[in-house]
This record gives sequence, structure tokens and C-alpha cells, in this order.
Amino acid sequence: MTMTQPAMTTDPATDAVPGANDVFTVDGLNVFYGDHHAVSEVDLTIKEREITAFIGPSGCGKSTVLRCFNRMNDLIDIARVEGTVRYHGVDLYDEAVDPVAVRRRIGMVFQKPNPFPKSIYDNVAYGPRVGGHKGNLDEIVERSLRDAGLWDEVKDRLGESALGMSGGQQQRLCIARAIAVNPDVLLMDEPCSALDPIATGVIEELMKEIKSEYTIIIVTHNMQQAARVSDRTAFFTAEIDEHSGQRRGKLVEFDDTGSIFSNPGDERTEAYVTGRFG
Amino acid sequence: MHERQTVSLDTLRARRGDDAAGHVFFVLITSAVGLAFFMVGAVGVDVVVEAWDILTERLWDFLGSPSSADEAKSGVSQGIRGSILIAAIVILTFPVGIGAAVYLEEYADDTWLSRLIQVTVRNLAGVPSIVYGLLGLAVFVKGLDGLTGGRSVIAAGLAVAVLVLPVIIITAGEALRAVPTPLREGAYGLGATQWEVIRTQVLPAALPGILTGTVLGIARALGEAAPLLVIGAVGFYTTGNQDFFEQLRGAFTALPMNIANYARLPAETWRGHAAAASVVLLILVFLINLVAIVVRARISKRLGR
Amino acid sequence: MGVNTIAVSVDPSVPTPTVSLPSVSSRAVGAVLEPALFLVVAAAIAVVEHYVQGPIDGFGPSAFWLAFWVMATWSAWHWPAAQTLASSFTGNHIAMLDGRPAAPVTLAARELSRVGILYGLPLLAIEQNIAPVLALMALSGLVIAKAPGRRAPWDFLAGTVVIDDFGGPATGFERTEVHSVADLQLDESRNRKNRRARATVLALGTTSILVSALIVWNIFSEAWEFFAADAFTWSSLQGIGWFPRRGIFDVWTLFIGTLWITGIAIALAGPVGLGVAFYLSEYANPRVRRTVKPIIETLASIPSVVLGLFAISFITPQVLQPIDESIGFASLLAAGLGVGILTVPIIASISEDAMRAVPMELREASYGLGGRRVTTSLRVVFPAALSGISAAFIVGISRAIGETMVVYIAAGGSGGAVLEYDARNEGQTFTAAMASLGAGTDSVAGVGIAFQSLYALGALLFVITLLLNVVSDAIVRRFRQVY
Repeated sequence: MTMTQPAMTTDPATDAVPGANDVFTVDGLNVFYGDHHAVSEVDLTIKEREITAFIGPSGCGKSTVLRCFNRMNDLIDIARVEGTVRYHGVDLYDEAVDPVAVRRRIGMVFQKPNPFPKSIYDNVAYGPRVGGHKGNLDEIVERSLRDAGLWDEVKDRLGESALGMSGGQQQRLCIARAIAVNPDVLLMDEPCSALDPIATGVIEELMKEIKSEYTIIIVTHNMQQAARVSDRTAFFTAEIDEHSGQRRGKLVEFDDTGSIFSNPGDERTEAYVTGRFG
Repeated sequence: MHERQTVSLDTLRARRGDDAAGHVFFVLITSAVGLAFFMVGAVGVDVVVEAWDILTERLWDFLGSPSSADEAKSGVSQGIRGSILIAAIVILTFPVGIGAAVYLEEYADDTWLSRLIQVTVRNLAGVPSIVYGLLGLAVFVKGLDGLTGGRSVIAAGLAVAVLVLPVIIITAGEALRAVPTPLREGAYGLGATQWEVIRTQVLPAALPGILTGTVLGIARALGEAAPLLVIGAVGFYTTGNQDFFEQLRGAFTALPMNIANYARLPAETWRGHAAAASVVLLILVFLINLVAIVVRARISKRLGR
Repeated sequence: MGVNTIAVSVDPSVPTPTVSLPSVSSRAVGAVLEPALFLVVAAAIAVVEHYVQGPIDGFGPSAFWLAFWVMATWSAWHWPAAQTLASSFTGNHIAMLDGRPAAPVTLAARELSRVGILYGLPLLAIEQNIAPVLALMALSGLVIAKAPGRRAPWDFLAGTVVIDDFGGPATGFERTEVHSVADLQLDESRNRKNRRARATVLALGTTSILVSALIVWNIFSEAWEFFAADAFTWSSLQGIGWFPRRGIFDVWTLFIGTLWITGIAIALAGPVGLGVAFYLSEYANPRVRRTVKPIIETLASIPSVVLGLFAISFITPQVLQPIDESIGFASLLAAGLGVGILTVPIIASISEDAMRAVPMELREASYGLGGRRVTTSLRVVFPAALSGISAAFIVGISRAIGETMVVYIAAGGSGGAVLEYDARNEGQTFTAAMASLGAGTDSVAGVGIAFQSLYALGALLFVITLLLNVVSDAIVRRFRQVY
């Protein structure tokens, strides 16, 4: 496909050259699961080294959209993606693009902490190893664990099973594991939904710290969390299809987080952020 | 209609005879369990009692001698050798079954064809073992006699391997299916290829289950006699000066064949031989199960579960 | 502009962490200890063997083979090459072969050649006394010694592969800019490996499928010849029996025999299996269950020949003959009871699964209404699990029909069987008829289509059991879906 930078979509928050620091440009994205039209017509642009939050009621397709950014949807046989997702101007769904190479650059942290049943060290070293890293892993492991704020807690038990850690530690380990391959983007799919408030606070602090190095997209159910950590927020909602009766996700509004929460442009957004529905 | 009564301690107290049906039922099912226990015990005790004379008087001689028409000399060395060779051939074919399971579970799309294959494999596991003997007779004995040398231990091993194949595919498939999706997603999310995910995450996590299946398969292979009968295992044979490879392609027998042949001899004096051979077979099967349990425990411990 | 390359550096004031990796047995110890142990084990077994009157026909120099087996297993478990191989396979560590990462295949090849050269080839040479083997040995030794990654010429004698510490300079991953699709491609070696793995398992899967197809095609094509020959009778020869070698094919005889065996087996295994299932699922506490269940399952692992022996050495003399003296050495009754014992664990375990699949809420509802345990078991759990229990019976029947060796040993009737309606006498089933027709070196010698009759019976058996399996499979799937 084309290698030129895509045309900018309307974006009031940009004051630099249009498209210069765009990581993702999404154009007319539709996702289908078999016959089910799960997400329709999403357009948005993700900025470099910002935290973008996707909020909305359940079933609104925000996780589905998130999984289009690193082609995780490819793993589901019946999933089909239409429209374009450009990553630094390159069409992610071009036939010549290998999803494995994409995922190496675009890391992901999942809803439930999913450490591998291996040692802490081996969990962090997994990505570099499969990626063909041949040098000193100790350095990478330490750096990643430090970045994830976990080093001091685990430095004396790197050889122990990761499954013995607390839930919050496990999720930070998953973040360390994801940044060990030095990705460009971190996708976080409700990373705190399985954690207690204290562990959630730690992860939020962590996100703010590592934002200087990574572009982060976070899906969250928790509006306060979106307001606390994100720079920009996308609000999705679900519409009921008249013919099939199925829920179909739709992007309603995408703007600075401040605007979304204090001065939403759409009444549905306002209803949601003020707690009247969802 | 029931009337409400005033509650006193007496009304809540269990009364004798209240639950007669319950007692009868409990007696019935515990005696069923007792009968099942008795079966296990009786088989074990009967076999050992029948085998006692041979096991105490000439154990090593019995283990080390070939079958013969002389009661005092006849043993099971040829049977042990045949059974071990058959098990070895079966083990060599395990990768085929495990590979098939990996393909069906990890790669194949969910189409009518793959579903048909799954159903077929499940049903092949229920086909009587003697039918596999027919296959062996036609394909491995007659069709491929250039390779197997006709009625040989190779033909028998291959037929038993085909018999065990569905068991391996099914148990390995179940073990693979039980690997949690988050584990796979985690690895994919870090930029692993499908094969890397399978090799580094899926297979290790499924290993205990796959191992169980292979052990079941080996135990089955050791105990099967029906297909060997059709393929042409003999009661006893003489090898002369054959070398190892000639023996592989020559006449053969196996432990269960020894047992069947001894047991079918009309003279009851041979029964001890059958029983002693049974003890050897049971111990072999038991040992293999034990190894599997130990290895499983080690792997599970390493995986931190 | 795109993305900048970011270098994240580690704070230099922090020392590099040391990571404890699995301890490595010293190679020096390996080189001496392993061959020494091998000799000790071989010598010990040789002494035992000598005690058993020296090497005997058919068993060869078993001492060396046994020692080989013991040592190969032992070394596979303990030696670094195998350990590295195992850990590289499970992805716990990168296996380093002299400072370079090594593929599991390389390690496996090395371990195999090491074990082979160290034990296998000498043994072959000793047993077979072939000079070429020795030559081959020398050659492979040379190859291994010259192979890349060797540490010392004598290395192939012991663990060749050692887990290295992860030394060397860190290169880390650099972030590179993305300009075109060419920047989002996988490197070719990983891609190739991925494709090759897929092709390999596809080939293995296809092999399995082809073999399965072969079974069906083969059996039915041979059976077709039999049916085409028109010697098959269902009723015209009734009353004579099944004597394939004389050209008398009266399937009715075998049908009656099979019916008896199956009926007796289910009559024994049905109540016992169900009782066990009720006990395990509704009455036993988890601790008792953990003890009782494996004992019952032991029954399933007893080879059927052993039960055949049990039928003639215990069931007939100790159980049947005291009741009816007229029962002889072999009888359908004894064989049926033997098959029944085999069927108990099948009915018990599938029924128990079905009962345990009944949701707890149903039981709680029953208890909440004042139901006792027996009422709950029989009125709530049993009906809810009925489909699964019927599947258990169908599988049990299918197993009983297909059982061969117990009937072959305990029901008599070698060569053929006369039509027999009395279970106290000898008889044959489909399977036992096939076994006795196929048994022995002169198997399936006989008039004309005796050989094909074997396949005709096989086809019949195949169809019957397949139908039963399909039905039970459908039932089991349904009750799994319901709960």
C-alpha cells in the first residue's frame, strides 16, 4: 500500500505539523465477528507519547478497537477488519505486514495478569529471547523491572515462579515483560480491573512515569482513571442494530481529556461521564 | 396438607427407621464399592497365588528362558523382549499422534472437515482392538512384508501403534485445549510467532497431560493381545543364529501372548506359568504408571502449579 | 520525523544482577563418572545373568542391553545436555552451546549421538560382532569431535553441552523507525521456522488421518469379497454353528454368543458401576474419593489377558462350579463375568462424570426442601444425569462386544463353535471367532473365503461399535452442553 503520510483527520489538539507525531491513524474502521458487526466506522488519531484512554459502557467495542492496533484480532478465526489502521503511515493490514513484527513493536498488557508459569526472570526475558536477542539479558531484565517499579521488590527472587507474586505485582511484571522488547506503543486492556485500589494507584503512577518513553492506549471502565491518567479520551458507545438486534460499537467523541469530562460535545458523552448511564 | 406443628426438640430429632430407604441404598452402593474392591483384590491375589510356586522356585530362570514344551524350563524371556520391542515401536510413533493433535488443536480451522476428523478419531478409539489386528494383517504383514518381514514384531508394533494413535491424539488434544488463552495471548502480545508460542508456552503447559496420554498408550500397548494374535504372534519359537535385525523381522511373541497361550493349555499345571507371566506384565504396567506419576509431579512443580 | 530511537540506560551505580541458573554438573565428573557407572551397572547385571545360567536364546547379552537402558535413562535425566535440551524446549533458558545459542534440534542430535556412541554402538558391536559398527563408531566420533562448538576432543564422552552464564555485551533492542511495510516484516529465519513447524505437524496429522482411512477402506474392501461370495448365511444354516475353515459361516451362532457375553457383563458391571458412581459422586468426601477412585481405576489398567486367566482360574472353580457342578473348564458365563469386571470402571467413571456434572444448586434445592440424601441421589441427581449414564452403558456395551482375549481364553471354542443357547457351555463371540481364526502360524488357512470371513466379521464389529460410539458421543456432548 501507500507509504505516504495519511491526511489528517479533524484534530483540534494538534498545534504541530499535521501528522508529524501521529502514531496511529484510523480511518473508517469496521470489525466483524462472523455475521456480527461489532464496531462500525471508527476514525481517530493517536499521538506519540501521550496516554489515550478509551472509555464507554461494556460491549461498546473499545477492546475490539484496541486489539486492531497490534492485530490481536487475527488470532480469532472469525474476526474480520475493514478500513485502514496506519502505523506511522504504514497500513497495518497490508498483506506484506507480519503481525508478529507488529506485536514486537506494539506491546500489550491484558485485563487479567497473565504471567507465564516460569521464573520472574524468564518472564521478562521471554520477549527478547523469542525476538532473537543474543546479548546480555540481565541488563534488559533489570532495566525493565526498574521501569515497571518492581525491581526492589523482586531483585532477590528473580529465579522464583512469577505465579507466587501478588496480583498487582503480576500486572507490573506483565508491564515489565511488555517493555522489555522496547516497544513503541503499549496497549493496555483494562489493566487494573482485577486489582485492588492500592495496586491500581501504583500502576497509574507507573503509566504517568513511562509515558515519556512510550505511547500508551488504555481501555478502562473506570472514568476516574481515564480522567487521572490520560491526555486524550475517546468515548465509545453501543448502538442496537435495528435489523439484527445486535450491539454495535461506535466512536462518539474523541478530544482532550479535560474537554471530554468538563465540556463534552455530545449529550451521550455528557450522560456517561456524569454517571447517568453506562 | 401438612399442618404446622409447634417445634420442640423432639420434632427435630432424627428418629430410628425414619430413613430406612436411605440405609438400604447406602448399604447397596457401599457393597457395590466393596464388590469392585473385591474384584481388584481377587485378581491380584489369585494371580499371585497361582504364580507363587514359579515365582519362588525359579523366578530368574522363568524370566530368562524362552517358551518351551517342557514345563520345568518354559519361561517368558521371548515375551518380555517382544513386549519391550513393541512398546519401543509404539513410542517411536508417538510424535505422529502428538503432531496430529497439535495440528488439529492449534492450526486447523474450525471447518466441517476438521470436525469430521475429530469425531472420526474419537470413534476410532472405541473400535475393538482385534480390528486393528486385521489392519496389521493386511497392511503390515501382507502389504509391507518387504519392510516388516511378514509376521514379525515390526508388523505387530506398527499395528499396536495405529491402535494407540487415537488415544494419543485425543489425550494430547485435550491437554492442548486446556492451556489457558491468556497464556497464548501473552506470548503473542510479545511478538512470538505461532510456532514459538506453541513451543515455549503451549507444549510445556500441556506436557503433563500429553505425558499421561502417552503412558496410557504404552500401558495399552503392553497389555494388548488380540491384534498380535491375528498378526501371528506365536507361543514359542527358536531363533537360531539370527542377529538382532533378523530377529526383528522374524517370529515373535509378547507377554500377553504368553499368558493367553499358557492359559489356553488344557492341563491345569500350566496355569502357574500364565499367572507368573501375568505378574510380570502387571508389574511392568504398574512401573510405567509410576514413572509417569513421578515425572508429572516434577514437571508440575517446575511449572509452579 | 517518525519515532526517535530511544536509548534507555541502566543506572551505572547499580551492579549488574547475578541471576542464579540451574547448577551444572561438572564436565570432568561427567567424563569419568558416567562410563564408570555404566561399567558397574553392566557388571552387576552380568553377574545376575550368569546366575541365571548365562545368556539364553532370544534374550541376547541382556546385561548390556539392560545396562544401556538404565544408563541412557539415567544420564538423560541428569546430564547437562539433556537438561539444557529440556530447558531450551520449555523456553526457560536459552541453551548456550559454547557461547552461542543452540537450537533444541542441535542439542537433541548431540545428546542422541553421545548416548549412541557411548553405549549403543559398543553394545551393538559386542552383540552382533560386526566390524562395520566399530568403523562407524570411529567415524562418528571424529565427526562429533570436529563438530562446531566442541570444547575438547574427548568432549563427546561426557556432557558436551553446558549452560553458559548469559555473558557478553548487551545489545538490547533498538527502536527503529517505521517507514514502509518492509519495516514490519519478520526476519526470514523465524518465518521459515514457523512455516516449517506448521508443515511438519500438518504432515503428521495427515499421516494419522490417512492411517485411519486405511483401516476403514481395508477392512471393508476385504469384507466385500466375502459378502460378494454369497457364503454368508443368517438363518439357512442355523443350528450348525460357525466353522469357517470348513466353509460353514453361521453368524447367528456368534450373535448369540456375543449377546450372552454382553448381557452377562452388563448385568454385573451395570449395578456395580452405578453403585460406585453414586458412592463417589454423592456420598464419599473428597479424601475418601481420592483413595477409592484410583483403586477402582486400577481395574481399567488390568490387561484383558489377565482377566481371561482370572476367569478360568478363579471365577470358574471358586464361583461358578460350587453353584453348578456341570460347568466345565470354559464357559460363556465365566467369560461374561470376566468381561463384566473390565466394564465396571468404564460405567463407573462415565456415570460419575455425568453425576458430578449435575449442578450443586439442584442438590441444594432438594436438601432445602427437606430431601434426604437417598431422595436427592435417586430423584434429583439420577434423572438429571440419566443421559450421561445411558452413554456410560452404551460405551460399556460397546467395550463388552469388542472384548476379545477374555472370551478367547475363557469361553473355549477354538476353531469354531456349535450353536449354543446355554451360557453354561462353551461358545464364541464375533471377536473370539476372529481371534481363533487368526491365531497361530497356520492362521486363516482353510476353505476358500475363510480369510475374507475374518474381515467380514471385522466390518460387522466395526459398524456396530462405531454406531454405539457415535450415539454415546452425541449423548455425552449434549449433557456437557446442558450444564
